[in-house]
Amino acid sequence: MKTVSLAEQAVIRKDFHEVWDSNMARSTLLVVPLLMVVIIPIVFLVITCNVPPSQVNGVDQIMKMLPQEVRHFSIQQGTFYVMTNTLFPMFFLMIPLMTSTVAAASSFVGEKERGTLETLALTPMTLQKIFHAKVLGCVMLSAIVTAISFVSFAIVISVGDIVLGMPFFLNWSWLVCVFLFAPAVTVFGVVFMVLVSAKSKSYIEAIQTSGYIIVPLILLFIGQFAGVFSLNAPILLMISVGIIVVDVILWFVTARSFQTEKLLR
Amino acid sequence: MEELAIQTDRLSKTYDGSNYALRDLSIDVRQGEVFGFLGPNGAGKTTTVKLLNGLLKPNGGSCSVMGLSSTLRSPEVHRICGTMTESSKMYGQMTGMENLIFFAETSDIAMPKAKERAEELLKRMDLWDARDKRLGAYSTGMAQRLSLARTLVGNPRILFLDEPTSGLDPESAKSVNSLIDSLARDEGVTVFLCTHQLRYAQDLCERYAIIEKGKLLVSGSIESIAKGARIFIKAAVRVPDRDQLEGFERDSGGWWKTDLLREEDMPRLLKKLVTDGHDIYEAKILKPTLEDVYFQYVRSGNGEVLQ
Repeated sequence: MKTVSLAEQAVIRKDFHEVWDSNMARSTLLVVPLLMVVIIPIVFLVITCNVPPSQVNGVDQIMKMLPQEVRHFSIQQGTFYVMTNTLFPMFFLMIPLMTSTVAAASSFVGEKERGTLETLALTPMTLQKIFHAKVLGCVMLSAIVTAISFVSFAIVISVGDIVLGMPFFLNWSWLVCVFLFAPAVTVFGVVFMVLVSAKSKSYIEAIQTSGYIIVPLILLFIGQFAGVFSLNAPILLMISVGIIVVDVILWFVTARSFQTEKLLR
Repeated sequence: MEELAIQTDRLSKTYDGSNYALRDLSIDVRQGEVFGFLGPNGAGKTTTVKLLNGLLKPNGGSCSVMGLSSTLRSPEVHRICGTMTESSKMYGQMTGMENLIFFAETSDIAMPKAKERAEELLKRMDLWDARDKRLGAYSTGMAQRLSLARTLVGNPRILFLDEPTSGLDPESAKSVNSLIDSLARDEGVTVFLCTHQLRYAQDLCERYAIIEKGKLLVSGSIESIAKGARIFIKAAVRVPDRDQLEGFERDSGGWWKTDLLREEDMPRLLKKLVTDGHDIYEAKILKPTLEDVYFQYVRSGNGEVLQ
């Protein structure tokens, strides 16, 4: 960690402990991923395997969503494929978004709320270093949770693929989601929360405000079911690049607005 | 010429653009002195400390600490200063030891030196037995002492202490004050002390500034600011009940009192009383207290700068 000074490492470690010590933050970091990428996919897999296709509503619509190369799939396989590639990416992407906002809320707003931000600003660390350490800490925490979640998700879906006799689920769309979209929304969640932190008086208020940024993500994936558009790897790549551009702009805006006088107001 | 520890020049601050929390404050604090910064609530004491630490930007004037501009070089200022304000809290979920190690690390003190420094300060502040307790479980006095320990983590040359004894019982306040005294006397640390507690301030400080509504009323040593307020030292004598002393006033305790311009005038005064045939049972010099001077200025709201 050559580029991260001793003081920055101390802030990152402290922020990790602080998030972990908060019941609300800890439960969000554990429950949301468990629900989104383990429990819901398992429940769906069990239903797919056990409920006769004739009893499922809208099977025809779901089968129409299959791309050409997998049109030969059975109804069970097709349903599982559609869920794996349309609904579950949304669930998966909620993890970096929610963990990053929760971590950032605790790190920035929580610190302000507890009156410790002023003490931190009185240390010899520059404000830029404090900002850098805090953003890095939130991004790292979110990245760790996202990585563990993806491995868990991959295990669940692979089991489903084996049970249903399907090929391995990982495709270009998933690769873009994991390696570009997820990091992009992670940084977005953190910088958005830093912007919110200047206005928010409490951790709870900040978390409530962060709820708004989940809406576009939900709309993006729901749009597929409504037949408005189809998300494939190139489109996801373009959206990811767009978010990265927004991240860079927001990063500079937030870094500039990260001033003690504004933060302590 | 010796470098000043703290200097402000017509320093002004307004939060809303119209009402000034601080207006044209000009003070100098010498290296190694304990400087009392006095004033009622809302006078601008905390604003001054925050400006000197670069947490706020001035709307006018300038300020520096050991020649470093507080506005432009605040991280360097923080490296040589320890600052304790009422609003700068420490981490409640961390233990006393963890808090001090964390703040040592933010000052680039690596382990195991950070731990050694934390241990040394915990012992010095009489917090050793509570080192593994979470700060949230500390009493107000213990938390205040831990905050003071935090300010000392980086071996500061200047301490900014904003109401360090606020909320403390007399015993804890006394121990904090004796610590401040020993830091100043034994280690040569310059102390900028904001306080309401005038009696403690008089014991600790060498010079003072009194501000009210953001304006400096007076600054200087107790003798000079007392003179400015026309509060003089007094000679007090006790003589037989039948005696009447001209030019003296008799208080309810039977002491005859008169103003003295200088302490050196006392022997001459006593000689004259004896020559005039008075028997003197007791005699003493009454120096003006900081409380007398403070209330004289704060009531009148009219001051001048005396060095």
